[in-house]
Amino acid sequence: MKDKILKITVIILSLFGLLMIYSSSYIWADFKYNNPYKFVINQGIFLVIGIILMHVVSKIDYKLYKKHASIILLLGVILLILVLIPGLGIVRNGSRSWFGIGSLGVQPSELSKIALVIFVSKYLEKNDKDKKMTLNFILPILLVIMFSFFLIMLEPDFGTGMVIVLSLLVLIFITGTNFTIFIKLGILGLIGIVLLVIIAPYRLKRITSFLNPWSDPLGSGFQIIQSLYAIGPGGLLGFGFTSSRQKHFYLPEPQTDFIFSIISEEFGFLGVLIVSFLFITIFYRVVKISIDKEDLFGKYLSFGLSFMLIFQTLLNLAVVTGLIPVTGVTLPFISYGGTSLLVSMIEIGIILNIGSQK
Amino acid sequence: MFRSIINNRIKFVFLVVITIFLIVIIRVFYIQVIEYKKLSSLAESLWSRNLPVQADRGRILDRNGLVIAGNVTTSSLVLIPVQIKNKEEVAKNLAEILGVTYEEMYKHVSKKTSIERVHPEGRDLSYEVAEKINDLGYDGVYLLKETKRSYPYEEVLSHVIGYVGIDNQGLSGLELMYDKYLTGSDGSIKYYSDGKGNKLSLPEIYNSPQSGFDINLTIDLNLQLVLENELNKAMKKYEAEGAIGIVMNPKTGEVLAMSSKPSFNPANYQDYSKETINRNLAIWSSYEPGSTFKILTLAAAINEGVVNIFEDHYYDSGKINVSGSTLHCWKPEGHGEETFLQVVENSCNPGFVVLGQRLGKEKLFKYIDLFGFGKKTGIDLNGESKGIIFNLDNVGPLELATTAFGQGVSVTAIGQVNAVSAIVNEGAMYKPFVVKGISESDTGVMIEEYKPTLVSQNLIKKETSDLVKYALESVVANGSGHNAYIEGYRVGGKTGTAQKVGSDGHYMVGNYILSFMGIIPANDPEFVVYIAVDGAHNVTQYGGSVSAPIAKSVMNSIISLYNLPPDPEGMPRSYLWYEQKYITLPNVVGMNKTEARDMLNGLTIEYSGTGEKVASMSPEANTRVKEGSIVKLLLN
Repeated sequence: MKDKILKITVIILSLFGLLMIYSSSYIWADFKYNNPYKFVINQGIFLVIGIILMHVVSKIDYKLYKKHASIILLLGVILLILVLIPGLGIVRNGSRSWFGIGSLGVQPSELSKIALVIFVSKYLEKNDKDKKMTLNFILPILLVIMFSFFLIMLEPDFGTGMVIVLSLLVLIFITGTNFTIFIKLGILGLIGIVLLVIIAPYRLKRITSFLNPWSDPLGSGFQIIQSLYAIGPGGLLGFGFTSSRQKHFYLPEPQTDFIFSIISEEFGFLGVLIVSFLFITIFYRVVKISIDKEDLFGKYLSFGLSFMLIFQTLLNLAVVTGLIPVTGVTLPFISYGGTSLLVSMIEIGIILNIGSQK
Repeated sequence: MFRSIINNRIKFVFLVVITIFLIVIIRVFYIQVIEYKKLSSLAESLWSRNLPVQADRGRILDRNGLVIAGNVTTSSLVLIPVQIKNKEEVAKNLAEILGVTYEEMYKHVSKKTSIERVHPEGRDLSYEVAEKINDLGYDGVYLLKETKRSYPYEEVLSHVIGYVGIDNQGLSGLELMYDKYLTGSDGSIKYYSDGKGNKLSLPEIYNSPQSGFDINLTIDLNLQLVLENELNKAMKKYEAEGAIGIVMNPKTGEVLAMSSKPSFNPANYQDYSKETINRNLAIWSSYEPGSTFKILTLAAAINEGVVNIFEDHYYDSGKINVSGSTLHCWKPEGHGEETFLQVVENSCNPGFVVLGQRLGKEKLFKYIDLFGFGKKTGIDLNGESKGIIFNLDNVGPLELATTAFGQGVSVTAIGQVNAVSAIVNEGAMYKPFVVKGISESDTGVMIEEYKPTLVSQNLIKKETSDLVKYALESVVANGSGHNAYIEGYRVGGKTGTAQKVGSDGHYMVGNYILSFMGIIPANDPEFVVYIAVDGAHNVTQYGGSVSAPIAKSVMNSIISLYNLPPDPEGMPRSYLWYEQKYITLPNVVGMNKTEARDMLNGLTIEYSGTGEKVASMSPEANTRVKEGSIVKLLLN
């Protein structure tokens, strides 16, 4: 049984994203490339490819991935290592996380997301019997996850690294393994953060600056203030499509991390509700597939992929609305970025295939 | 059942995700609805640039709405360099219109600043130049309205009005006291710009400036002009050090004119000394009043019943002995036998000493205090002085005697006017004031109105007031104030000649303040006119000879400005031997020779032509001529 609602929702959301990329980017695109349509055309091409890929992938039996999980992970890790080599990897916005192909770029960390979820899902299914022995069950896979995280942090891309690690931890959590281990891990994480702060107290300031961005309006608080200046004046109904003020060189690169601010500015609270509803719909449909799925690998894989998407979504929204410090993750299906869109579409394709098999 | 554990955990995670979504949505609601106003206004100020539009300062108007302090509007050029696309072309055209070199103008249009003013060539632009620049229609080139204080009458009323600084802020006088009202709120032209300063194609928003409120004075500009003119003439004629003039309505306390010389032009107050611009002599300067102070002694004596000015007599030998000291009358040989009315007419010092002695120090000083001497009048102007009055405990017979005729006390001009006003206004004292109200400048609607303030009443009996007025009229008709007499009108007054105290504490030789306190109409005064000339040269040092004629000119203007009707009830003028008597020519045309001769008694008649009847006369009938003048009659 194919999930039409999931597919249509994804397409609606990414088409809306394309419109918003146009609206938020044409000023910058015109300024930087003398072509206001530069970003929207690029993204449009990726969207077409993405929709085709989603369709194609949805026809591929997901069990195939289980068979080749190790090779897929190996490929992912090799790419993550290759991108660190100067000359092969390109530095953009301070991170060496791109393979350049013309003006287009490919982010191996995005690709490695799928590889890791496949590998972890397979591992969890295979060792299902051992999950009572928590430490033995978790430790090997944690090492794999932390190694990938380590590679991604070398770029560095903290946002993507965090999305991957936390999503996979949640995936391990849902296997039903002992709950207390996560509390212990959480305490360990807190101790780590406290240590980092003690070593270098300025980090605390950076962490707390999001609480009051106005304490450093031109430094760490700049982006969040600009984001609030977009969201706030949007009010209930917004300024209307293309009428954002903040995209006029106030909000830096509004088509990527902060595109949600522009959505809030142009469509107001109503727009925010609709976009949130679409994301929740997607997650809800996938969660339904996962719950209905008897096959453990399929269950884990569909949940893992969708949680990764929704976790990244929440991380982005929380950053944009000033709930947490700026981490630098994009909004799935909507933010500008070819690799990200393709990976998201492939993920949905895989989920669709899982859902279509009894 | 491990499957169900897994599914439960999935459901749990789903619920957590939904909860976080709700938190995000609530957060957005908080930002967009609760914080909407705050963030909108902050963002608005980020997006918009304001070009200031200066508000007009409120005007200062006389009692009839004539503008004493107004504004002139000019345009000034403002550039927003980032918005100027073709800098060469704009610089070239602007340089041509303003007569600046291209290089200099190019510097202006390409300066790295948000708003650039072209100073000074771009300020105070004429209408034509502004129009030319406007016609170019370039982006980033703006003309802004600027407004500047103007004082069309220059030095007139300068001490009362004060002056403003370079930013139109009040620095002294009414300009300072009412600065809060006079200052308008500037408006702006608001346009939206992007993060790089370029103008966005959103419509500009014009916030019109709010003019300041107008201050409405009790001053009558026309009368003020007369007073200023008279004092200026006196300053020049007598090479005087200073002069003071005040005209006040005793029935309300409204000051109709007030002038202090030397005055200054508020438009370039920097050119004058601090003393000149800061001292409103009419309220600041305190000096020995001299004989004008006798009005108070007289009122006190009559009110206390210690003198009957018609019946009581006094023999003035020219001096009087007071506890060992000899006080002289201004007339060395004395006035001889006189009634106390004549004592007043003659301004006889020994006579007033006697009045003071009859009163005693407690009573005299009670009246001095009642009529406000030694205190501020409370006029609504900055910089008023109190004057100096003897402490009652230190008053001996000598101090009592000198105080009675106006020596040894120090008072301000406004203080004297205030006291005399109360005396002639049946003992009712009103606080002097110059600001009548505050009004909106475009509608004229009064937002605040200041009514006359009755300070005290029944200070003296009505009969006392009437007798003092009678005495003052008599001073002008028969005594030392004759230079203020106006034929057909009732004028009262009192002269004053006060020696000045020098910096060494002694009286200065030959340096006087010559003053005159006048009232008109004398029987029911509506105007109290005070004139004082300080340090006059080249003239007999009597108030009657210097200040009385000035007061007379001012009162003549009052008569014509306020259409005062002639009053035949007035006291006839008595003439001194050296004075000419005036005769109004009766109409003798059509009469025969003898009838005409009888009618023209006191005049020299010259006939021409032959015949018995008068065909015409020259000067014509109703002309006023001196006694003994020649009147030509044509006979046929």
